[in-house]
Amino acid sequence: MSPRTVEYLVSRSPELDDRGRPVRMPVLPPGMEPELHGEHMLINIGPQHPATHGVLRLVLELDGETIISCTPHIGYLHSSFEKLGEYRTWNQIIPLTDRMDYLAPLIYNCAYAMAVEKLMGIEVTERCKVVRVICMELDRVFSHLLWLGTTAIDIGAFTVFLWTFQERERIYDLHEDLTGARITTSATRIGGMMADLPAGWIETLRNFVDTVPATLDEVETLLTNNQIWIGRNKDIGIISGEDAINCGLSGPNLRASGVTYDLRRDRPYYDYETYDFDVVVGEHGDCYDRYLVRMEEMRQSLRILDQAIERLPGGPINVNDPRVILPGKTDAMTDMESMIHHFKVVMEGVKAEPGESWFSVESSKGELGMYVVSDGGSKPVRWRVRGPSFVNLSALPQMVEGRLLSDVIAVNASLDIVLGEIDR
Amino acid sequence: MSEKTFEGALDDLEAGTAAGSAEPARGGEAGDADAHPAVRALRERFGEAILAHTVMAGDEHVVHVRADRNVEILQFLRDDPAQRFDYLADVTAVDFGGDRPIEVVYQLWSIENRRALRVKAALRVDALEIDSVAALWKTANWLERETWDMFGIRFRGHPDHRRILMPEGYAEGFPLRKDFPLRGRFSRAEQTRRALSMTVEEHYSAEELAIVEEVKRDTSPADSGEGRPAS
Amino acid sequence: MGVSLPTVPRGEAGFFTTKLDLAVNWARQNSLWPMPFGTACCAIEMMASAASKFDLSRFGMERMSFSPRQADLLICAGRVSYKMAPVLRRIWDQMMQPKWAISMGACASSGGVFDVYSMVQGIDTIIPVDVYIPGCPPRPEGLIYGILMVHEKIKGESLADPSLREENPERVGRPNLPDGVIDEIAKPFGNSTTQNRVSGLVRTTALARPGDRNP
Repeated sequence: MSPRTVEYLVSRSPELDDRGRPVRMPVLPPGMEPELHGEHMLINIGPQHPATHGVLRLVLELDGETIISCTPHIGYLHSSFEKLGEYRTWNQIIPLTDRMDYLAPLIYNCAYAMAVEKLMGIEVTERCKVVRVICMELDRVFSHLLWLGTTAIDIGAFTVFLWTFQERERIYDLHEDLTGARITTSATRIGGMMADLPAGWIETLRNFVDTVPATLDEVETLLTNNQIWIGRNKDIGIISGEDAINCGLSGPNLRASGVTYDLRRDRPYYDYETYDFDVVVGEHGDCYDRYLVRMEEMRQSLRILDQAIERLPGGPINVNDPRVILPGKTDAMTDMESMIHHFKVVMEGVKAEPGESWFSVESSKGELGMYVVSDGGSKPVRWRVRGPSFVNLSALPQMVEGRLLSDVIAVNASLDIVLGEIDR
Repeated sequence: MSEKTFEGALDDLEAGTAAGSAEPARGGEAGDADAHPAVRALRERFGEAILAHTVMAGDEHVVHVRADRNVEILQFLRDDPAQRFDYLADVTAVDFGGDRPIEVVYQLWSIENRRALRVKAALRVDALEIDSVAALWKTANWLERETWDMFGIRFRGHPDHRRILMPEGYAEGFPLRKDFPLRGRFSRAEQTRRALSMTVEEHYSAEELAIVEEVKRDTSPADSGEGRPAS
Repeated sequence: MGVSLPTVPRGEAGFFTTKLDLAVNWARQNSLWPMPFGTACCAIEMMASAASKFDLSRFGMERMSFSPRQADLLICAGRVSYKMAPVLRRIWDQMMQPKWAISMGACASSGGVFDVYSMVQGIDTIIPVDVYIPGCPPRPEGLIYGILMVHEKIKGESLADPSLREENPERVGRPNLPDGVIDEIAKPFGNSTTQNRVSGLVRTTALARPGDRNP
């Protein structure tokens, strides 16, 4: 860290030396030169910051513009979902799951319901399985569209944000028709869904699936071969496959580094092995590959949606299990046994046998694990959510150390984190 | 459906079951070691360090191990060519309440063998210490910090043993323990007062403050006489 | 803690002051620059309000100011934890007068579903709030309705009233009762804002569910 002097040519008619070249003049008179120590600077990004995608705080140690170390600080949104879950019955936890990953709420609803159903040994109906697959893939597209819009806006491309939000409005309308709420859907219940699909929903969904690829194509023409986009994303934030596995990355982040781990293929649930789709794998593990993987994943999700719409069977949406499902309203009002049944399920809550279950699904961010432990009551002893973004974010420091400051924003955006799930 | 009368059902509800007094029912069946190759290998190699093997929810194999040998066992599971549990999905803990031991739970997945395994180590409530596996999987770094923050379990050898979700100076305890009330131990007014009066030390870690100290030291007026360049 | 609207009797204000008020208020309300303090799900609805379908730009609010020094309207969208509270306070303090605050959503207004150890039970314990928007999350139309309420509030303001632009938090607004009395009233309920049988500290004749974990 030796001090350096800075010399500039400041004169209009400079002195020339004997070879005809200008003599370099110091800026300041001699004796007053500034001492440019190369000490490191500590700067703080967030927790309130437009580009941190939530209340994330990054403390960076900088040498000029180069990052020496990056420390993420989280916990600014810690809402103790897991503690709150211990005081809520199994069905009352479902609205909590919406608020964790608010970008893909249906995936969380489904994952939680699937974990508890596994614990209780309940097999949902065929129709419910296909409806849940539709919900999960729809929300994967939903989440990736938001990721696309916010990443583009972070890199500087504002138009893409408006286009993707316009498409997301159509998914908001689908959510609202299905559940009554745009974001906090709470669509599933233990043993089934809150309600069956409304009339006309499948047609609207089919229209969406047929028309959204046009928007994706438009976005691709704007971004994929754009030199600015490539310059900001290519070879930035590289992480190798082995490192990614060791760091616990999952989802598109892991697949962009060349590791073919997709829970829909490797730990299939709800007949995913019978759907025809490709697992999208990148090669370089940089931000650009993560972008390409997510774009293609959206198209693959649309493929799955197409097939799911085709194969949607009729039949009941809720399983006919009196332990979990309320009797029909007419029955409950006229038949004494049904009324007692209704009373017990509502007042005591659904009861699960003692045991535990870990269920992981491929959420839009990665491997979402739900771990539920029961002691035979109507409330869990422990409800643990393995949020993919929590683990993905822990890999951020090693992806940005040694890079430049603006790369932090690009890498942070490409990891697709959501703070609700990190801080739980 | 219920065979009892309506009054009977109401009586049931009012009487209720005594919650939390007896051993909690745990569920699951005793596991057959041959059903899962990793368990068979573990039993052969570690013998009595493997305390139990159960199967939960139909197909989830859970191995209970001795807490003081967790690093050895997990290292074997990660490195042994037949096991290759290279993906640590989760590290967490479960507190059953009362004075029952708190269990540390490791969820493992082998990407090439497509197999899952859950490893549990029980810790007595008055001796909540276990060795850290952050050296084996980088995933464990933050996950163990979170387990420390929420349960108060010390991970020996952890590189950065700090709270992660709660603020650094959080004085109310460890939230996910069963004896911690849902709304915290201090009154809301006290919690607000403490939040609004957090000091700089609570916002930055010791290393980060050290960088600032170094900068302040280097640029303090006493220093300006040194290191003049020869002009 | 709330800001009381001024009651300047009509007769006392002169012609120029009222016309000036009209002009200033019109300018302020139609060019509010929001400071989006978005933390959770409500932030997504706020982003949707700013996007094409609901378009905040028709209110002059498309220029989201992420620097508090240049913002007029703090929209706290989302739940605020005690760890985040000093940050919110500091952002509010950094904003220049005139400034208004919207508490968007149930969590910002009262803690929402999160009556837990780590959540602020309403940001009005941290900063003075002008408009509360209920909802979880409120629809973009709800946010816009709240913004229009802020416009109404601004319309009713007067430059002559210094209490509107009060900076010192101790003088902005006080609860009606002294602190000691409030603590006495709240003591049986512990920290619970729901104040029902589930709080566990009050015994009632309501049925307790078997195995109920009393919070």
